[in-house]
This record gives sequence, structure tokens and C-alpha cells, in this order.
Amino acid sequence: MGSRGLLLLKVPSQKPHHFLLNKSFSKLLIRNCSTTKTTTGSSLQPPDLPRLAQTARISLTTHEIEEFAPKIRQVIDWFGQLQAVDLNSIEPAIRAVADTEGDNLRDDIPETFDNREAMIAAVPSYETPYIKVPKVLNKE
Amino acid sequence: MLSTLQPPRTLSRFPLHFPSTKKPRRHVHISKPTSSWQPITNPTLTDQSQLSTSTPQRSQILSIRHSLLSRHVTATQLADSYLTRLRLTEPLLNSFLHVSNTVLKQAQEIDDKIKNNEDVGPLAGVLVGVKDNICTADMPSTGGSRVLEGYRPPFDATAVKRVKELGGIVVGKTNLDEFGMGSTTEASAFQVTANPWDVSRVPGGSSGGSAAAVSARQCVVSLGSDTGGSVRQPASFCGVVGLKPTYGRVSRFGLMAYASSLDVIGCFGSSVADTGILLHAISGHDSRDATSSKREVPDFTSQFISPNILESKPLKELRVGLIHEALDDGVDTSVKSAIHAAASHLEELGCTLSEVSLPSFSLGLPAYYILASSESSSNLSRYDGLRYGNQAAADELNALYGDSRASGFGPEVKMRILMGTYALSAGYYDAYYNRAQQVRTLIQKSFEAALDDNDILISPAAPSAAYKIGEKIDDPLSMYAGDIMTVNVNMAGLPALVLPCGFVEGGPAGLPVGLQMIGAAFDEGKLLKVAHVFEQTLRCSSFIPPLIADGIEL
Repeated sequence: MGSRGLLLLKVPSQKPHHFLLNKSFSKLLIRNCSTTKTTTGSSLQPPDLPRLAQTARISLTTHEIEEFAPKIRQVIDWFGQLQAVDLNSIEPAIRAVADTEGDNLRDDIPETFDNREAMIAAVPSYETPYIKVPKVLNKE
Repeated sequence: MLSTLQPPRTLSRFPLHFPSTKKPRRHVHISKPTSSWQPITNPTLTDQSQLSTSTPQRSQILSIRHSLLSRHVTATQLADSYLTRLRLTEPLLNSFLHVSNTVLKQAQEIDDKIKNNEDVGPLAGVLVGVKDNICTADMPSTGGSRVLEGYRPPFDATAVKRVKELGGIVVGKTNLDEFGMGSTTEASAFQVTANPWDVSRVPGGSSGGSAAAVSARQCVVSLGSDTGGSVRQPASFCGVVGLKPTYGRVSRFGLMAYASSLDVIGCFGSSVADTGILLHAISGHDSRDATSSKREVPDFTSQFISPNILESKPLKELRVGLIHEALDDGVDTSVKSAIHAAASHLEELGCTLSEVSLPSFSLGLPAYYILASSESSSNLSRYDGLRYGNQAAADELNALYGDSRASGFGPEVKMRILMGTYALSAGYYDAYYNRAQQVRTLIQKSFEAALDDNDILISPAAPSAAYKIGEKIDDPLSMYAGDIMTVNVNMAGLPALVLPCGFVEGGPAGLPVGLQMIGAAFDEGKLLKVAHVFEQTLRCSSFIPPLIADGIEL
């Protein structure tokens, strides 16, 4: 599998330049999927739960990881059936009815919300005029 | 069997004790049954309803209005009777997460206005339940989640604002699956709502609380939300009318976003007319929702006419398409029978029935879940514990996010966020989200073609009637499979209405089954018309759960 294989094993990342690189490979994967007619549909890397949880900023316990992994895996496999469909030359639809497109702009005039006190009161940790947060550690 | 000219069914006017009989009986509580269908654009105090002794009453809202304006009952008496019934049934049903403590005060304000001959809005005195993912400034709005437990929004959702402006009284916030993710209310962080037809069964979801509340007559009408069927499936399970408007018909401002390209706010009522009146009240463009349509809202309500002035084939020339893929092996036989019977009823009314095939039907389900989980992973990232909602203690920011969300979100929500995060990850977008968007195009096109040849399409709202609480909780795919009848409509953004059409075996008095009618975009008027005629001419049309029909001596 060589270098292509290495890219397959690479954990999905959010960084833009990796996205572009992986995008062209995933196109290749989809084409390969449809020609080889894999029964499970997707030959993409299975979900790496700890990594996903970190991306989604949810602290999962080990128990949760064990409990969720098979269920998520099952659903993602089920998603894979979309790979087997021929969708060439079909435009993706961002949303339903085209009625709401185009001319939905308003004037660029700011409006002050009339209940700012309530919004500020809802902040769990507030020290006028700051929303207080604990220290930020840069891991990477 | 009951004829179509039935005495009015009003449960709400006076206390709840109905004499116990073997079959639920109708009791005439209004002294003058009316056949008036005044358009709500004429809310003057000098409304003169035409009185007739023989026509069925099919709108609680209009009957309430008539009774208030003719001084037969006060808003306070009305509110009191509903609240009493609510309190008596709540321990069994758990429909509400919060009940307002200003209902009687608001009712008194309406009574004062009426006494002073001031105008009151068309929803004056009408008790409305609001699903807890719709923001209300004076009541907690939790979204069914611990992450927002106790949260009070600083604004009302536009739909709520409009209900209040027209005189409606928000009686409370109803239970739901957390953030709308679920089909039973079992994923609520707080409680499970029971089905009024059989309290060991689910009411459906995610708007289970809103459906149960209307079914048990704890309120007159209610608001819910529908992303993949969350108004229509509970309407079917609870034997009430549920309407999902066209995407963009009703403002989503103040609706906690689950999947922004699919979410809509929908209505529940115990009759088609009530559901239509509520829809009209909340519809229309809102500058605060960039996806709301500028299209004019026709008066849906003026077309409700009494059946005794209908011709013998009132739906002549209406072309109805029965969706072939919606009646396959996965659907319960008894549900299929109920739908076929409903189709025959439509034929009797003059419709031309044909079978229609929607080939992309089954693809809609995985495509829907990809879109919904992807969009929800993005929409729920705002619940970070910093600006509102519950905050976990942590000495570092990432841990604060991670722990607040971990302790605030339930397991179903966490799983969907993780699935969505996966589907949107670099390298996977094309395989999942983009492909699902393409499937959406296919589905839109196939509905468009089907609705060129037909005025409305019909199908069941769910493959079965209400199942037992706990039955599907461990198997996500089995629960998702139940959404197959409904998700395609959300993908296409079309309007759909579910109304009870029959029963299947189960529970103390049978379990209701709903017929789903799907219309062309922005054609809610036609749906309401067909549904209203269907309802008014249905022979078996007592959809009052035994819990309240036999009186409430618990």
C-alpha cells in the first residue's frame, strides 16, 4: 500500500492543508469502492473515538468509549451504504426549498439587543466586563 | 356506528368527570353548538356565529372564542378546568417539564378585556403547550438537557411571541428527547413521557410531551419541532393532528437548532382546524431568521366549512398518490390495513387514488442521519459552559469545555455529536456529508415529480403504533428505522400533516394510527382542506384516550 497506505492510517485532522490532500485521496477511495463493490461499503478509517471526543471537546470516560464505540461503528457502517450509489453529476443540495435563497439580505445596520442584562446574567462566571475563564494551555 | 353529524365533543369547558360507560361517550357541553367557521381575520366582539343544532364542532379554538365572546364561560373558568385536568394527569403522563404559574393571571386579564368590550386576539384564552427546545423568556428552556437545566433565555422565540400577541396563554414547557434527538422522549435528561392511550408505551418523539399534552387535553394546542418526523410520529402515536410546515414557512428564531437545514417548528391540535389556526398564527417571514420565506401566508383557516354543506364528493378530482415504498414488509400489517382503509375513505370522497414510487426512499434514512448528526455536531458546539448553561469546575479551558459538555449531554447526544464530527472530518466530507447532500437532491426531485402527477401523497407516519417504553432503547439502528416514513419529507422541505385514521390492537382501548399527507412546498392550505374533509367525514372519529374519556378518578 505504500505511501497511500500511510495516508489511510493517518488520523483525520481539521487542518486545512491536510483536508485538501485527503480530499483527493477520498475521491480515489470512493471510486475504488464502487469498482471493487465492497459489501460493507466504506473502506475509510473507522472512527477513532478518543480523537473524535477531543475534537468535539467532550471528555469521555473509558466506560463511555467502550459503550459507544460499537454502536457508533455500527451506525457509520450503515452510513456507508451511500458509497454504493451512483451519484455522479448530481448537485448536492444545501437545503430544501430554493425559495429562501438569494435575496435574503438586510441592511448592514447594527441593532442593539434589548435585554443585554439578562444575557450577561446568564454567564456562569462573569467579572465585569469580562467572561472569566480558567487558563488556556496549548497542547500542540 | 356514529354518523358524521355528531354532537360536539368538548371536554375542556367543565370539570372532568364524565360518567363512566363502556364506550367513551360524547357529551354536549356547549348549549349552542355552532357551525360557524369565522376566519380569524375578523376578531371583533360582535362576531355573530350562525347557530345550528346538528353540525359537529371540530374546533376547540373557535368554540372557545364563541363561548368567551358570548359570555358563556370566562377565560378563568376555562383555564382552571384545563389546569385541574393537567394536574390530575401529570403524575401518570409527565408531559411537562415546567408549568406556568401565571396562567390564571393571564386568563383574568383576558376576562377584564372582554368585560370592557376590548378586542381580544383570535387565540384569547387558548392554552398552548410549548416544546422545551423553543425559547420562552419567562420560563426555563432546557432543550431536555442538563446542559441547560434552569436556563432562562433572554427572549421569546418568534413563534411564541406571535402566539402571545394573539392572546394565547403558554401553559408550560413540554418534555422532549434531548435537543430533539430521539423518537420516544426516553432521551430526555429529566423524565419519560407516557402515551395517554397506554401509559406503559411511548408517546413518540421527539415532541412526545407536546403530543401527549394535547391528546390528554392538558392544553388545547401545542408547538413542537420536526427535524425528521418529531411532530408527525408522536401525532400518530398519540392520536392527535400534527402538522409540519414547509421549511421556511415558520421562523426558527428561538428554536434551539438541531439540524439547521431540516428543523421546522410544527403544530399539534385535537382537530385539523385547530392545528391550521395555530399554524396561521405563527407563520410568516421573520427578519431574524435568514431562512424564513418572504412568501405571503394565505388564510388557511377560511376554508374550513361544515360537512353538511359539502357536496357528496367534496374531494372530486383530487389526485392522491399512495407511496409504494412506505407500505412494504417493514410496516405492521394492522397499520397497513388502517392506511388502506383511509385510502378507501379518500376514494369515497371523490379522490383518484394511484400508487406512486419514490425510488430514493430508503436512501433517505442514512442520508438524513448523516446530515442531522453532522449539522448537530456543529450546532451543539455552542454549549460550551462559558456564556450560558451549566459549567463544570476546571482549572484549564479545554477541560472546562470537555467536562461541562460531558456532564451536560446525555449519551444519545454525545454519540450523534461524535458521529457528526467523524462525518465532517477532513477526508470524510465527500464520502458522507457531500453524498448525503446529493441524495437530498435526488429525493427533492423524486417528490417534485410525484407531486406533479398528484395533489397529495399519503403514507403511514410510522411503521407501527406506539411501542413499549424501554423496547428500543438499546438499539439505535432499530429506533432510527422507525423514522423512514418521515425523514424524506424533511429532506425535501415539504409540508406534511398527520391525522388519526384508525386503531390497532393494544392498550386498554386500542392504539391510534395516523395517516400522513404530504403536499407541495407552501401548499399547507390544500393539505388542511383535504385533512379537514377527511376528518369531518370519518365514521370512527372518537380519538379521546380512555384516561380522560372515562373521567379521572385515579
